Amino acid sequence: MAPPPFPDLSIGPDMDLQLALIFLQQGIASGLVSGSVYALLALAIVVIFKTSDVPNFAQGEVFMAAGYVALYLFVFQKMPIWVVLPATLVVAFLAMALFRRFVLDQVAKSAKDLVYLVIATLGLSYVLKGLVRRTGFGDTPRSFPALVPTDSVMIGQASVTMLDLAIFGTAVTVMAAFFWMFNYTKTGRAMRAVGMNPKAAQLVGVDLRRCHMLIWGLSGVISAIAALLISPKILMTADMGSIVMLAFAAAIVGGFSSLPGAVVGGFVIGIVENMVGLFISSRAIVLAPFLAILIVLVLRPQGLFGGKLTIKKV
Amino acid sequence: MAVALPVFTSGYVVYIANLLLVFVVLCLGLHIVIGETGQFSMAHAAFYGIGIYASALANRAVDLPYPVAMLFGALVAGAVGLFIGTLALRMRDIYLALATFAFGEAMQWVFANWDSVTNGPNGLRISPARFGPIEILSDKQAYPFVLFFCLVMIGLTVAISRSRLGRSFRAVRESEVAAMAMGIDVRRARIVSFGLSAAIAGFAGGMFGLFQTFIHPDSLGFQTTILVLTMVVVGGLGSIAGAIGGAIVFGLISEVLRQAPQYQEIIYGAILILFMMYAPRGLFAFIGDRIREARHGR
Amino acid sequence: MVADSAAPFLNVEGLTIRFGGLTAVGGLDMAVAKGSIHALIGPNGAGKSTTFNCISRFYTPSAGRITYDGRDITRMPAREMAGLGIARSFQNLELFGELTVFENVLIGAHVHAGRSWRDAISARPRGIVEHVEQLLERTGLTSYAQTKARNLDFGHQKMVEIARALAIRPKLLLLDEPAAGLRNREIAALDRLLCELRERDGITILLVEHVMQLVMSISDRITVLSFGTKIAEGTAAEVRAHPAVIEAYLGRDAATAEEANHG
Repeated sequence: MAPPPFPDLSIGPDMDLQLALIFLQQGIASGLVSGSVYALLALAIVVIFKTSDVPNFAQGEVFMAAGYVALYLFVFQKMPIWVVLPATLVVAFLAMALFRRFVLDQVAKSAKDLVYLVIATLGLSYVLKGLVRRTGFGDTPRSFPALVPTDSVMIGQASVTMLDLAIFGTAVTVMAAFFWMFNYTKTGRAMRAVGMNPKAAQLVGVDLRRCHMLIWGLSGVISAIAALLISPKILMTADMGSIVMLAFAAAIVGGFSSLPGAVVGGFVIGIVENMVGLFISSRAIVLAPFLAILIVLVLRPQGLFGGKLTIKKV
Repeated sequence: MAVALPVFTSGYVVYIANLLLVFVVLCLGLHIVIGETGQFSMAHAAFYGIGIYASALANRAVDLPYPVAMLFGALVAGAVGLFIGTLALRMRDIYLALATFAFGEAMQWVFANWDSVTNGPNGLRISPARFGPIEILSDKQAYPFVLFFCLVMIGLTVAISRSRLGRSFRAVRESEVAAMAMGIDVRRARIVSFGLSAAIAGFAGGMFGLFQTFIHPDSLGFQTTILVLTMVVVGGLGSIAGAIGGAIVFGLISEVLRQAPQYQEIIYGAILILFMMYAPRGLFAFIGDRIREARHGR
Repeated sequence: MVADSAAPFLNVEGLTIRFGGLTAVGGLDMAVAKGSIHALIGPNGAGKSTTFNCISRFYTPSAGRITYDGRDITRMPAREMAGLGIARSFQNLELFGELTVFENVLIGAHVHAGRSWRDAISARPRGIVEHVEQLLERTGLTSYAQTKARNLDFGHQKMVEIARALAIRPKLLLLDEPAAGLRNREIAALDRLLCELRERDGITILLVEHVMQLVMSISDRITVLSFGTKIAEGTAAEVRAHPAVIEAYLGRDAATAEEANHG
């Protein structure tokens, strides 16, 4: 049967409609899986940005370091998984909370400008990467054993693994738990208050220092979960923190100060990334998040869900 | 004394000196856009790269004195800078930083993938610079020229800073609203500061070609932009002396750290963190404060 | 100097400013005579600053016209105001904090410093520096010339804003609450300065103000706004006794009492 006429979308070999449809489904399915992980990381970034205006440039390295902590405990110390998981989360929580308390609070005291806080997070990213490389684990790529069988499952015409489904399910559950906490608990309310008006929050009794520590710790935990979810699927290296660019792109697409936006953005970026890889080329995948950032910021800087960027009142 | 350097020291030291002088110029460029005008451009390495490639290709294609190729590199970079500056008008702070960062990464991708022009991931060989009968073949030969161009750039930056244009940059940084009320065209100032900053970075790219024989796209990404940013901040954001001092001090620290690759990143990150915690206004402000305190016995 | 009332220097006609569904100012007519000091007062939320920002072109009106020295400036961009001789200060101070007092005022003269290329390149353009130094002396800031603006006390910071505005060599000076937060001594100094600007320099001044002692002391004419509309206009004495004004500030009972007293 002669292939039906089809607009030339791809640079690759002639693609007929049937193949395109399969790629479409695959792109969406795989995109939702990796997108759920980007969404988690984007959430971790935005929860900090929303409450303290600081873009945390160490988010990727925290993610990476958490993965290595889990790797070390599980593979090299041979500890049981039900110890490794909570231990990793606790370590991530403490590391981020203590960094906020002892480093960033001091920086904020020395200088009011945000740029100094941002550079401090950059410093953290270097320190974490250096530490991981120093321990010798980061020298060669490693793999994290999968805890769920990797048998394939067909969804429509797309192929995913059981592991993929587990990743997606867990990520979505964690996101739901986060939103419940943020919107319906006292702690969550305190965090929101701090983000909207720190002075007022302080007046009604919120301990700012503790709240910020909690927020950073929470962000660390979410990043650690993301690492635990995706490590079995990828090759672990000390550079795996570069995935954070996709998370930043996701946050921007969703609107940098919107939490639901971060989640939607994560899925969008995941799908776009897979589509680019399937329909254009794998070389172009690296470029995709940067183009996404540029397009969104030039055309619609507030992203999908961000409120209007306010002009200063005179 | 600085001029006599190559006579008394090894080739390696002169190479480092050349490198530091290039970083000084890079820092001057970043100073114009961030220090003077307050726009957080994270695309600096991209303009540097454009300057490197453009001047190297011009040098190869046409048989004119090398400074012409350098000017060409600066012009191309400057033009791209003006364009980016126009796009950047609607953005501030973190959004501007992220957008320019994305542009920088996209540019690095172009350097690594536009095989027909940049020779892609294999990098580009740079032919020696020629001024008439003179051909520059070593670090020692290049040094006087690199030093000369660096001094010219310092002079230019100081002149810009002291001029009406420089005053308009600072006004825009401090208060766009008031600047408008004073009759300053804020949009034009922002675009011009981007263009100038990019042109200076592009010129640094031309200087790179004076003593380097090869450029690889790997060294033209976020790492380099961050390095220049930290030099400017550590030296002291907003002052030209800070930019120059930061380039030299931090450049030396980076080079020294490269001798201990295992600890390089940890120490570098620790230095950044410590500076931000205890001396965020920069090295020179810190030293200045300590001296003042000692004198007045506070 | 006799105020020329035949052709108002600054004429606001039918000015209406709407934000979304809210009408901040509705159909305002206000004529400012050349060489006079004109005050715009009213309780909070009356629309004074909004009107002010419209005249200085930071907002664009939904309807109406603003004429300055015979020229329609309703839609002109804010940055052209300085070139026309219109200068302003800001309610919340918009100083160039990290720059010295000298540099703040020097930038005020920006429109004049571009005239020759020599001036444009120089850090201390000759004619302009003299002008700046004179202004610093007039406003009592000479000893602070090399101090960073953000390090000054509030009263001096307000003076820097005014000195900076004066560097434009304005014909019309727009002051947004210049006396807010000042001590009595400083208000008296401001009083003297503004009168001097009117008598000696012939500058027309429009000020938005809450500090009544200053308003009543120096204003040739006062316009009173309440909820976006003009409720009274006249000399200080006329406005002070006007029942609508008293009601707007103090409530109906006070207005009735006042009427009983004077009726």
